[in-house]
Amino acid sequence: MIEKFTEKLAILLQGNIPEEIDTAKITGEGELNLANMLNQLITFMQEIHDFIIPLSKGELAEIKMSRKNFFGSPFKELHSRLIHLTWQANQVANGDFSQRVDFMGDFSEAINNMVVSLDKNEKILKEKIDELEKALSHIDKLEGFLPICANCKKIRLEETDPKDQVNWVQIESYISEKTEAQFTHSICPECMKKLYPDY
Amino acid sequence: MFKEERDNYKFVWDDLGDLEKGRPNLGLTVPVLAYRLLQYTFRDVMITELGVNKTNDIIIKAGRLAGSQFCENMLNRELDFNEFVSQLQRVLREQAIGILRIEKADPENMRFTLTVAEDLDCSGLPPTDEVTCQYDEGFIAGIMEAYTGKPFHAKEIDCWASGERLCRFDVRLQEDTE
Repeated sequence: MIEKFTEKLAILLQGNIPEEIDTAKITGEGELNLANMLNQLITFMQEIHDFIIPLSKGELAEIKMSRKNFFGSPFKELHSRLIHLTWQANQVANGDFSQRVDFMGDFSEAINNMVVSLDKNEKILKEKIDELEKALSHIDKLEGFLPICANCKKIRLEETDPKDQVNWVQIESYISEKTEAQFTHSICPECMKKLYPDY
Repeated sequence: MFKEERDNYKFVWDDLGDLEKGRPNLGLTVPVLAYRLLQYTFRDVMITELGVNKTNDIIIKAGRLAGSQFCENMLNRELDFNEFVSQLQRVLREQAIGILRIEKADPENMRFTLTVAEDLDCSGLPPTDEVTCQYDEGFIAGIMEAYTGKPFHAKEIDCWASGERLCRFDVRLQEDTE
């Protein structure tokens, strides 16, 4: 009998799951207890094997282990953490950047840094989009035909009476009004010659 | 407060006293063993005096009252659900009560599966093949009630004492259990 028990344990130690011991023919109380305990161990190892293989593939939904399998407790804990991480990843994907992973060492730090970066990058992106939208709204204001005096280059304000002089404004003030651009005055070389020929 | 007969709860947060004033040298925290010693001896005596069912009923009700007061006094109830959960996780961690994690959440139907690791009530207990965190059941239900304004039910489905390495709770509206 000892040989049979040893054989079963050897199979377990090699990482395989042996057949359970047939207890029907065991008569001694001590041997029967030992056989039952060994069978329990074989069952636990089988459960762990059946649990850890799908877990390693990320198949989290349907795997279970019996409550009394205390060998498997760390794997059950890992399973629970992975389910929680899956939920957290979905939360982050939906824009909840308040999620943080606690007490998982280097993994926590890496994931938390990633979430902080995602949050920061999204804020930067939103700011850029706002800036671009603002710029686009200014471009809209300057689209279309601008009525301009062929001689003095004044611009007529939109939808105003062309015969009324107050509706004609300097091009500088018109553009300053419509955009965030400001003018600083100078004189080009051609005009300089015309205005100050001796200079 | 404790020597008058009455039918209604009277506990308010201020009944906890001014801890900073009262414990200038020993500080605000005590070892987990002091908490467990208190709860387990209470439960042991109550079971012999009142029976298991009545004892568990009282423990759950006490937890519910504590959870409700905890939420009203330690948490911002104005936050949306995601922010509220993040806040609850942080406060439970800071108060060394446990590490709360969400496994499943259906906020629309108010149904959740939560886990609490390193739970104050049970982590490290010898295996007894039973769930023991009835106080937590009430505490979680009380928090959710105070947050949502609706009666909640929390049921422990796995516990350290039942062979897990954490506690798992099924949390849902009371009306969904009836």
